[in-house]
Amino acid sequence: MAVVDRGASGQGSSFSVIVNDERYRSIFYQIIVFAVVMWGGWYLFSNTSQNLEARGMSSGFDFLGSTAGFSIAFSIIPYEAGDSYLWVYLVGITNTLLLSFLAIVATTMLGFFVGIMRLSKNWMVAQLASWYVEILRNTPLLLQILFWYLAVFAILPRPKNSLDILSLELFQLNNRGLYFPAPVPGDLFWLTMVTLLISVIVAYGIAIWAKRRQNATGVRFPAFWTGVGIIIGFPMVMFLITGSPLQWDIPVLKGFNFAGGSSVPPAFLAVFIALVIYHACFIAEMVRAGILSVSHGQTEASYSLGLKPGLTLRLVIIPQAMRAIVPPLISNWMNVVKNSSLAIAVGFPDLVAVFMQTSLNQSGHAIEIVAMVMFFYMTVSLTISGALNYYNKLVQLKER
Amino acid sequence: MTNLDASSSEVVFKPKPSLPPPPNTVGAIGWVRKNLFSSPLNAFLTILSLYVIWVIVSNTFEWAIVNAVWEANSRRECLDKVGLSGACWAGVSHWMKNFIYGRYPDEEVWRVNLGFGTLILWMLPFWLPRVTSKIAIGASAILISPFLLGYLFAGGEKGLFLQVMISIAITSFIFSWAHTLLSMATGKSLWAAIVQASGFSAKPEATHKYPVFAACLVVFAVAFAWQSSWDITSQSTNLWGGLFVTLVISGIGIAVSLPAGIVLALGRRSKMPVIRVFCVSFIELFRSVPLITVLFMAVTMVPLFLPEAINPVKIVQAIIAVCIFSSAYMAETVRGGLQAIPKGQYEAAQALGLSYWKMMTLIVMPQALKLMIPNIVGSFIGLLKDTTLVSIVGLYDLLLMLKAVSQNPQWNGIHTEPLVFGAALYFVLCFVMSKYSQHLERTLGAGQAGR
Repeated sequence: MAVVDRGASGQGSSFSVIVNDERYRSIFYQIIVFAVVMWGGWYLFSNTSQNLEARGMSSGFDFLGSTAGFSIAFSIIPYEAGDSYLWVYLVGITNTLLLSFLAIVATTMLGFFVGIMRLSKNWMVAQLASWYVEILRNTPLLLQILFWYLAVFAILPRPKNSLDILSLELFQLNNRGLYFPAPVPGDLFWLTMVTLLISVIVAYGIAIWAKRRQNATGVRFPAFWTGVGIIIGFPMVMFLITGSPLQWDIPVLKGFNFAGGSSVPPAFLAVFIALVIYHACFIAEMVRAGILSVSHGQTEASYSLGLKPGLTLRLVIIPQAMRAIVPPLISNWMNVVKNSSLAIAVGFPDLVAVFMQTSLNQSGHAIEIVAMVMFFYMTVSLTISGALNYYNKLVQLKER
Repeated sequence: MTNLDASSSEVVFKPKPSLPPPPNTVGAIGWVRKNLFSSPLNAFLTILSLYVIWVIVSNTFEWAIVNAVWEANSRRECLDKVGLSGACWAGVSHWMKNFIYGRYPDEEVWRVNLGFGTLILWMLPFWLPRVTSKIAIGASAILISPFLLGYLFAGGEKGLFLQVMISIAITSFIFSWAHTLLSMATGKSLWAAIVQASGFSAKPEATHKYPVFAACLVVFAVAFAWQSSWDITSQSTNLWGGLFVTLVISGIGIAVSLPAGIVLALGRRSKMPVIRVFCVSFIELFRSVPLITVLFMAVTMVPLFLPEAINPVKIVQAIIAVCIFSSAYMAETVRGGLQAIPKGQYEAAQALGLSYWKMMTLIVMPQALKLMIPNIVGSFIGLLKDTTLVSIVGLYDLLLMLKAVSQNPQWNGIHTEPLVFGAALYFVLCFVMSKYSQHLERTLGAGQAGR
């Protein structure tokens, strides 16, 4: 578009042409915004460097190599007081990832269960589920975490009178945490794992082949059950051939506490349970909305084609519902990862607790530590949203 | 087949009246059969759910009501009476004042009440029938009231800027209610009434604003004179606490996040790359990190970022963090609403020759905001719940107050009762808000069905 001379009142000066041209104006605005942001950034930067100088603090990431003089109550990678801050960062990340991963798996299962309960034709079941959702999602998560920690796990018995869950003498719950058997792999256990990996690949290949053949010829092949058989069967055989090279280290009461096995502290359990219960409400709502979003005509059409209710659900309803469920589901998983940082309130050593609180207080490197923690969460977030975009591209309606 | 015409002898088919439906398919019994016992599995599920509900309700009832202790002076007394089998509500009622006002002095509590009362009164016209210009009233309540309320809560010396803002707040409060009463009684706006009373109605329309400005100035001058005589003691923010602080933080969060979110969302959809990049990075950065990291960032880095002369108190640091965080979320909510507006609306506005801001304020935003109201209320609920996180950085909000009861020597170890009370309080607040947003969704949806 050519620049239009709008000097209708006789002033066709180049100035008014420039002022009224949208392109020039947009460049002008952008320069102003850029300048303001840069000035703000410079202002903050100069203040910060002045303040740091006044307090005699250095900046930079050198502190990561120095030793952290505190101990951490729970870590899945070995840690002891005296390891470096970088190692503390990694301990925090692994703890956060462990907690979030377990919570995501459990909350997804519970959420689907509650969501399906809400859609039940049984009025009582639907009401029960809907009150579960209403009550728990309208109370703050932090309050729920504190409730589990202070009101439930704090009144658990001492190790001596542990609650024996399932009465198998395997899972012991007391005020020091939950004790459970730990697997101790033997020499040849890796063979079983390798077989498992190969079986999964083979089962996946069979599933693809079966689908291709069905698309081409219409002949069905029970790929699912074959796959289950392969994945369970072959590793089992290998496991038995190599002489069952897996022992369980069972926790036993010795003196005042349990020895052997693995354990998680009460703080972990409190955060885990609260995260699972709280986020399941949101997942339940997504599942309900997703299934309701599939129009009833789909069900009727599939019945009129002669499909049984089970097949209708599996082949018609669920694939379409998943398209609506998965995107919010994954962003909810992201929220689980973010909310796992509330573990700090009950003293579970997640990333924020060990790094942003303890390490920051000890080393004083506020800017570096805040940046590193935010970097971790952003990386997780970008990874998850990247996966989500890929999935969306995969399942979105193909317009033909 | 004879005698077709002979109507006298014709046997007319006359259906008998239909039988009533079988008694077990209608009424209460039918409903129960259909919804609860339609199959053995359903019957089993019903009984199982009833059992679950019974266990939960009866135990809660017994703990919270039957065995509860309402009057006691220490936890020891409660424990001696009922042990752990009943709730010790005495601990909650002894601390009730702290749960609501924190450690705000007793004789100054009226200021908090007056502040929130004013705000409620200010927002009230929003729900009254036949009131026009609700948006302006609501905007004045959200944007200007914080100055008046902030002064009421904090007290102390007030500079010229604050004095002017307080006077503006008083003026707009008076005008809001004058307009509300007038338009409810006569259906006319305050503007029209002032114009008419001043005798300007015969003059050209462009001059109508002068008497209104004059009226504003008069009220402003009176308000300024009035407020300069106020003298209330200064109350340190360290004394603020409980529900009061929760509402202050989430209230300011709401008031800032809505306009900031709109600006960020518009920036994100802007055609200017520099603005877009800044907005996208701001939104994505703060949406991808947990609020607690933003709070820690504010608490540890704000003192570093600002010159040493300005050292904001902790509550201000927390408010900065909450505002940044909620603005980023609000921006995405608003963007969702903007995307729902069909492109034809933008094109039509441009075809009419409207400028960008006119297009946005007159065409797009009114429609988009209407669509967004349920989601915005949803964000507010989230914000109210999220403010509990300020307790982690040591602000005595409602949650930390609830937790603090157990550190009191008399009530040592009382955790469950305050937390249950707090949960109930939050539940009521959030539940009412969410039901209200569903109601709005329905009423607004009804308005759209006609399109």
